[in-house]
Amino acid sequence: MKMPRLSRRQRMFVQCAPFNEERIRDRTMRAAVFRVRETKEFANQRAFDRAVAALIQTVPIPVGVTEWLSKGIYVAPPKRTWKQALQNPAVLASGIAVAVIAAIFVMKVVERMNEFPGETTARRLLTVASSVHSLMLDPVKTDADALGDYFFMKHRLPHYDVPPEFADLRTLGCRVFDDEEGQRVAQIWLVEKHLQFFFFPAERDPKNGAARHFSGWRYVDQYRWTGVVQERSGVCFMAALRGSEKDLAPYISKPKD
Amino acid sequence: MLGDAGKAQEIFQAIMHDAALRAAEGELPNDRLSMFRDARYRCLEVSQAGLQPEAIEMEEHAIDSNAPVQIAKLEPEQLAIWMSNAPDPQRTALALFYLDEFDHEELLALSELKTAEFANLVGNGRQEFQAWLNVTFPREQPFEEQA
Repeated sequence: MKMPRLSRRQRMFVQCAPFNEERIRDRTMRAAVFRVRETKEFANQRAFDRAVAALIQTVPIPVGVTEWLSKGIYVAPPKRTWKQALQNPAVLASGIAVAVIAAIFVMKVVERMNEFPGETTARRLLTVASSVHSLMLDPVKTDADALGDYFFMKHRLPHYDVPPEFADLRTLGCRVFDDEEGQRVAQIWLVEKHLQFFFFPAERDPKNGAARHFSGWRYVDQYRWTGVVQERSGVCFMAALRGSEKDLAPYISKPKD
Repeated sequence: MLGDAGKAQEIFQAIMHDAALRAAEGELPNDRLSMFRDARYRCLEVSQAGLQPEAIEMEEHAIDSNAPVQIAKLEPEQLAIWMSNAPDPQRTALALFYLDEFDHEELLALSELKTAEFANLVGNGRQEFQAWLNVTFPREQPFEEQA
């Protein structure tokens, strides 16, 4: 077989390729050798190299040398650096697995920290908010803070008062209905941004029946609807709209008297 | 490297002595090649102190398919003398290459050469050695050619 056309680099590699296949660890060199391995010229080179190496192997090793060599190892065992250890596929795979587990754990912890009593009801009411039309509500055009008295007088629902942060907003309509669990829920429809308010009884401790309190505002979202929930006097208030937390944040960040 | 078994053994023992001292002090080198590197420097030092071969232009012949037969006729000492008379770094390149102990990267690290230089030195060394073999063991000419 004739020598194939090789690049300058390949010719170079062929010329100095170790004659012992096991010692060719360079991929480019291995590829260059593979291309010429059937040629007569390369076969001659290999035979020449192997004959010289075989001759060298016949050189007798003096007794003194073998005695010295048998005395011990004179090179320290290789130390594994951090970089080498990290490049080990087993370590890499374990590291990725640990990172994923840690990320899931952190996500769960964050999720748990954001949980609050009544979250399930709030989510359910967000679904209601997304499906209800304003025509289903009784038309009431007034300021939101006026509806607290309305719910108390007409439906005997105490503490169903709109928090000061949302008190100035104008309403379109409202209604009171029983949810799946038989809880009395009040719903208010507003002019601004199709906002909706919900009042529902706070979650209760099944042992003693006491309302489970939580402080501040808590966000909840469901199918592109977002709500912000506050608990006061055993009643939860939720302001909901179609959007994200940043659409609701300006309302609850406003300082109120 | 030296073409002299006595000198080579002296260098070997000196290296082993140093290594044993380092081992006793707990200062073993991490690099597997360090002892070979040390051996190379010591050999170069010794050979520079002795008689220097005359620098001559060596003839080069293409590698012959008959080369293994020619090489088999050699004594190891003849090869050692031929190699030790090669100028450095060719001598280093050939000695390390035919020792069959190192991969390409290690050969470059030990010889302190680049791939192009190393390939050139080994390639030329091969052809020069072939030329010397052809002179030392001339191929027997067929009867017709002799006539």
